[in-house]
Amino acid sequence: MSASRSGKLRDAIIWTAVGVAAAAAILAWKPSALIYGVQRAGLYAAVAIPMALVLGIVHIVNLAHGEFMMIAAYLAYFAARLLGLDPFLALVPVALVMAVFGFAVYLATVRHALKAPELNQLILTFGIAIALGQSVNLAFTSQSWKLSLGYVSASATVGELSFGTFDFVYALMAIVLAVGLRLFLTRTRFGKAALAVGENPRGAAIVGINVDRTYALVFALSVALVGAVGSVFLARQAIFPGVGGPYTMKSFCLVAMAGVGNIVGVLFCSLALGLSESLINSIRGYAGWSNIVFFAIIIATILVRSFRERKA
Amino acid sequence: MNVESQVVYKENAGPRSGPKEVRMRKVVVLAAGLVLLAVSAFGQNVIKLGANWPLADVSGLECSRAAQLAVDEINKAGGVLGKQLQLIVVDDEGKGDKGVAAIEKLATVDKVDVLLGGIASGVAAAQVPTMKKYQIVTVATGAAASSVVEKALGPSPDSDWYFHLHPWDYNQGQSYLDGWDAIQKKYPDVKINRIFLAYEEGAFGKSSFVASKALFGSRYTFDGASFKSALQGGSDYSAVLEAAKDFKPDLFIWAGYAQDALPLLEQSKAMKFSPPIYLGAPPAWPVDMGKSPLAEDIMLYGMWAPSINAISPVSRKFYNAYMAAYGAPPTSYFGALSYSAVYIIADAIKRAGGTEKAGLIAALEATRYVSPLGETITFTPSAVIKHQGIKNQKILQWQNGTQEVIWPFEVQSKPLVYPLPAWK
Repeated sequence: MSASRSGKLRDAIIWTAVGVAAAAAILAWKPSALIYGVQRAGLYAAVAIPMALVLGIVHIVNLAHGEFMMIAAYLAYFAARLLGLDPFLALVPVALVMAVFGFAVYLATVRHALKAPELNQLILTFGIAIALGQSVNLAFTSQSWKLSLGYVSASATVGELSFGTFDFVYALMAIVLAVGLRLFLTRTRFGKAALAVGENPRGAAIVGINVDRTYALVFALSVALVGAVGSVFLARQAIFPGVGGPYTMKSFCLVAMAGVGNIVGVLFCSLALGLSESLINSIRGYAGWSNIVFFAIIIATILVRSFRERKA
Repeated sequence: MNVESQVVYKENAGPRSGPKEVRMRKVVVLAAGLVLLAVSAFGQNVIKLGANWPLADVSGLECSRAAQLAVDEINKAGGVLGKQLQLIVVDDEGKGDKGVAAIEKLATVDKVDVLLGGIASGVAAAQVPTMKKYQIVTVATGAAASSVVEKALGPSPDSDWYFHLHPWDYNQGQSYLDGWDAIQKKYPDVKINRIFLAYEEGAFGKSSFVASKALFGSRYTFDGASFKSALQGGSDYSAVLEAAKDFKPDLFIWAGYAQDALPLLEQSKAMKFSPPIYLGAPPAWPVDMGKSPLAEDIMLYGMWAPSINAISPVSRKFYNAYMAAYGAPPTSYFGALSYSAVYIIADAIKRAGGTEKAGLIAALEATRYVSPLGETITFTPSAVIKHQGIKNQKILQWQNGTQEVIWPFEVQSKPLVYPLPAWK
């Protein structure tokens, strides 16, 4: 085993041991914080992973990411109200519709800004976010809509602790997304082509990969995946035009923390942040600190990585 | 002599105006003059009401619609003093600077006779200095934060042009105290000793906690904890519900937004948290709230509900007209409040014989308007200002998908269901 690989393995073992010890400590002190932290982490990861995909391959920060999720949630809502489709049953059709929508948005807008300065790209996707949010607001007002589904109140009781179990579905979704994308990118022809484009678009073009089509399909895939999350999101949350915005911010922070294109890293970062938020929230009088802790951890991680890279 | 020599060409001369062009110009000028005359004549036959609401917000939209409905009804019945009412609405977008710009426009461009409107306290607070500059008679439909808005208005006579319909926060708090006292007296099974308030961590929630603590803290064992509202990206209420569960309240109140209503209930059910009274105090409720089985027997604070139709012909008239005009019922009391504001203004102008300021103020002071809210609105002094309209909120309960009035008992539509049954 090479020195760098054994170093990475050693780091992984250390971090895993630290993680397990932290989880055990939280479980002993505030078991509900561990449960809800994992659930919260699952939601963050499920939303952030598609953003990591598009950032890693297309190299664009999609500030309309949360708004795509919001649009998908509205689609799933109408599917439920008009067709009687449960959000889980609507997941695939909604994802397909969102894929087409994402493809169209890419062709109409993002494609023309790929060679533009990063600031222009940010402003473009920010503009798309505003346009999507305001369009929905105009069409349906700011009033919130919520499906009433009995299964979202499913619970389990361990000793004196009763807790909701539905939100574990987000953790499951996040794992499926991470594993599924990893397999897709490393085992399928298109996935390998996408990875190649992400690493070196010029080199990929030279070997005959259609870079533009790859970007379009990856963008569409990202929108489809966040659309699928949006459909499940509807089951548990009220939807309104501004529901997606905070999740764009959280996803961006998690992706920055994990490193560009590091999908598995997003899982672990989400866990760290979800648990820390949940723990802070569980301490009376400190709930207002959870955002500060969230961003403090992100800033610290990015700074440490910067120092390490500079040293290297 | 040939024809060309009779024509004098000047260098750079433009085409000369023929008789046709001169006639056209005269027609255009005449038409413009007629239009201006018509507009000014129309202006003299119109009483202008200027309003501002956040039109992208459903409550603001309903205010605008309800006010327009009242204007249309009054105009159809012949207007006021032979003149038609004209409602001019400016979108304040829920922002202070836009609210100020709205007042400036309504005062200086539209030159309205009376102002009405408003929802958010923050917007109203920003508007007060500008309103004081123009001192146009105003009937306000929003703003509950007395520490910013009422304080800024100042006492009489500096604020005598201002008539406040919506109860101030301390009015609301006092009515809750009175209401729970009355309910415990009428229903001896209802015993409230411990109150827990779960509040959203923003300005609305925090001020609710501070006000509630001051109000309830001396008479009850009171505690509370904050949560991040779904409106701000929150989705997990477990910490606050655990704190509430540990506290074992007789009355659990949550102060957040419509987006929190059902997720809070779903998580309460999952955590098996069912206090004897579970009460929500959001500014509005989600569209589908009544359809949810979780809403059953949940209590709420409000000022109007469709169930008042059963006892108030004015409410019934307002509700039926609103449904006929817009196809969907109002979702909060703001519509009924705005509707009332227009009728109050129209009635006052009629009694005053015009919109002259002193006469109008005197007429408004003598208002006794039977409102769709199930009460007769008059203006009496509040802690600071001279003209406060409504001082009471109502305590309601969701029963079979409908908000039923529990208190005040004069407008009670159904008896109280107590305690909240255990979650099934």
